[in-house]
Amino acid sequence: MSNLLHSLLTELRRGNLTLAVLSQLRTPQYGYSLVHRLEKSGITIEQSTLYPLLRRLEKQELVTSSWDTSETRPRKYYVLSDYGIEVFLKLKEEWIKNTQELHQLLEGEENDESD
Amino acid sequence: MNLIDVYIGEVTRRLPEKNREDIALELRSAIGDMLPEEYTEEDVKEVLSEMGNPAVLAGNYSDRPMHLIGPRYYDVYISLIKMILPIASVISLISLVAEYIFSPTEGKAVLDIVLTIMGEGIWRIIEVGMQVFFWLTLTFAIIERADKGKDTAPLTTDLKKWTPDDLKKITYIPKKRSISKYEVFGSLLWTAIWATVYFYANKLLGIYESNGDGLVFVTPSMNQEVLNGYWPAVIVIIGFEIALALYKLVKKQWTKRIAFFNTIYEVIATLVFIVIVTNPNVFQPEFITYTSDLFNVGADEFVSRIVWGSSAIFLFFAGLNSFEGFRKSKAQ
Repeated sequence: MSNLLHSLLTELRRGNLTLAVLSQLRTPQYGYSLVHRLEKSGITIEQSTLYPLLRRLEKQELVTSSWDTSETRPRKYYVLSDYGIEVFLKLKEEWIKNTQELHQLLEGEENDESD
Repeated sequence: MNLIDVYIGEVTRRLPEKNREDIALELRSAIGDMLPEEYTEEDVKEVLSEMGNPAVLAGNYSDRPMHLIGPRYYDVYISLIKMILPIASVISLISLVAEYIFSPTEGKAVLDIVLTIMGEGIWRIIEVGMQVFFWLTLTFAIIERADKGKDTAPLTTDLKKWTPDDLKKITYIPKKRSISKYEVFGSLLWTAIWATVYFYANKLLGIYESNGDGLVFVTPSMNQEVLNGYWPAVIVIIGFEIALALYKLVKKQWTKRIAFFNTIYEVIATLVFIVIVTNPNVFQPEFITYTSDLFNVGADEFVSRIVWGSSAIFLFFAGLNSFEGFRKSKAQ
């Protein structure tokens, strides 16, 4: 059962990752700082998922990137584009609506159980 | 040996040329961020294990699918294989048997020829199967990669999205009317067997005697020259039989038309059989004397018994087959 639970949870989280990453990119972030910010909110993301994801978001023109070479180690910073902000806000709205609906469903199920 | 360099190399060598440099730089910077100021090889290993298998990482970067044939084309692919494989095997078998019939190998034992045909037949079917499988898979793997469309819904066999109208194209076949593939295959095999026996009758049909170490062919029962004289009629029957079998394979169920053609076929086959068997020279004189002596009957009486007996049996089964065809075509 734990195996199945694990794969179901991974599936559940996978869809939310994009939204989580987008939410942290209003200010420019590089990969490692992004991982830190997400981890602080309790969201773990595999490194092997994050970097390809950032690249895909860039290809979809939701974020823009730039290299900062002023420090000892060059870093690639990502930030939301105007289009990205627009999409993010819509996505956020939808997500909140969906979770509220789901919440109601689950609440209802709990009441059924206690009856 | 620098593990980080090797790791980055392992990732980038799986990526398209134009992205390699940028991704390598970013990965190096990310790995650097994760390592402490002074680090040991153990630290590096820990960080790299966090990054995960380089093949998976590269796969996540790549837009290309990491499978040969995805869900969009899988069903079409499987249906086509199921459709093409049996047809291709049957065609290769028929052509093999035809090759042997039309180029008689003189002086070769019949059992040898039959065994060769069977052995080679199995080999050819395997070969054809592999060819079909390979080319179809290759074609679909290429289509999968060439398809840049955003739509991922699975396709039907005519390469369009499924709609309820597709149901109208499916012919519903009741069990009692259906013709199985095995039935068709069996009848083709039967054609191959009797055609071989017919054209090699002087080597196969006859009297065998046991002489202690196996069977010895004493005398043939049929006159091969007489048999060969009827070749146009026999070829027509073979052609008819193959055509009917293939038609059944396509239609998959008994219809009035199939039952009708089946009856025509039975009538022609019966007529030809009776004409051949009543030919006074079709049996070898040695065979007639040998056997009539064995059963203690007169030679003429023996021949007429064979002729009428076999004709009656043939007629009975021909009638039964025709009747069954019509009965099945009317079944609900």
